[in-house]
Amino acid sequence: MTIVRKAVDVNLGALAEALEKKICAACDYLDTAECHPEKCMVAFARKVLAFVLPKGVLDLPGAAQLIPAQDLKVYVPEDVAAALAETLRQCRECRDNHSPDCVIALTRACLENALTGHRIDYPGSVFLYLARLREQDPRLAELVARELRGGSGPEAGR
Amino acid sequence: MGEGYFKQRNGLYVLDVMGACGLMTGEQFRGLAAAAAELGVPAVKLTTRQTVVLLVPEDKAAALKAAVESLGLRVAPYHNVVRPVMACPGNKDLCPRALGDALGLGQALQERYTGQEVPKDFKISVAGCPRGCTEPYCADFGVVAVGGEAYDVALGGFGGSSRPRHGQLIARRVPRDAVFAILDHVLERYRALAQPREKLGRAVERLGLEAFMPPAHLLRPAEEPDPVLLELKAFLGGRE
Repeated sequence: MTIVRKAVDVNLGALAEALEKKICAACDYLDTAECHPEKCMVAFARKVLAFVLPKGVLDLPGAAQLIPAQDLKVYVPEDVAAALAETLRQCRECRDNHSPDCVIALTRACLENALTGHRIDYPGSVFLYLARLREQDPRLAELVARELRGGSGPEAGR
Repeated sequence: MGEGYFKQRNGLYVLDVMGACGLMTGEQFRGLAAAAAELGVPAVKLTTRQTVVLLVPEDKAAALKAAVESLGLRVAPYHNVVRPVMACPGNKDLCPRALGDALGLGQALQERYTGQEVPKDFKISVAGCPRGCTEPYCADFGVVAVGGEAYDVALGGFGGSSRPRHGQLIARRVPRDAVFAILDHVLERYRALAQPREKLGRAVERLGLEAFMPPAHLLRPAEEPDPVLLELKAFLGGRE
């Protein structure tokens, strides 16, 4: 039987929590006049997750074009790695049917943009993604792999 | 134009019956079953193109055809024509994965084009999402819903061959009306340029894709964005 993926099949709450507690909470601009959610890739990802949660959908065709392009903050790989790992934890390994419009992929794209300024083409598989990430950024790949090995959720390693 | 009516090795004939892209009502199925029982049909088979073939003795074929037509169904056209359209059950009521109305578009395409004569059999497939259960890249003309009322279009694919070929994407995110206009253009070019009995994909290989490309105004992306995307934009514009 075909398993139809819906938002209830994945833990988007854990993803939102990882963004909030691992990245936003560590952000120097939090609760200051310099916090501009409309320009922030992490705030964008959090809002998209908040948008889809009550709707029960995973795909948002065209949403990738709305990712803010003017986020010039410097992100710390250690903070972002935990959230990036959480996107992989929630990934359903869609392989050829991977959709770049999936909110998990959108969140991952935001984090990739935040750290490296560009997206990594997701191959639909966590293992293959880590291999690809290792080719581009061995240190980040190691941080993400460590999070995946040791972490059980957004609270792990705190 | 030929009809789907062929003699089999055992002397029986098959009648190829098409519904609305594979969709039939319970009444039509019951009617087919009753006709099959009455006319000595020993077997019924579902086909890859979402039609139904019924085995029938030659002397009962005319009566079976009349029964089929009385149910609002028809015998599928055959030979070098636009064949029955394949469409997945993608729309707002059925497949949860669907990004647009594939079934309704497929039925409209079938209504308008099936049976039109072309140099070689011409197959159309419509899918409601990029997963492509109806294999749109293996069709002469493949359509994929991509959200809202927009569709991608691929050209020149086919599977039934020792040298199958994948279709090439020629239009992205075009509106529903443009799908018909693009198909009109492609069929006109195909009839004008292809050799007799040459598949569209082979003609594309021989002449280049450019010879079949629709004019730029038919390839303009849909102007109306997906309503969910509009809602997301409004949501993003609000306070966190």
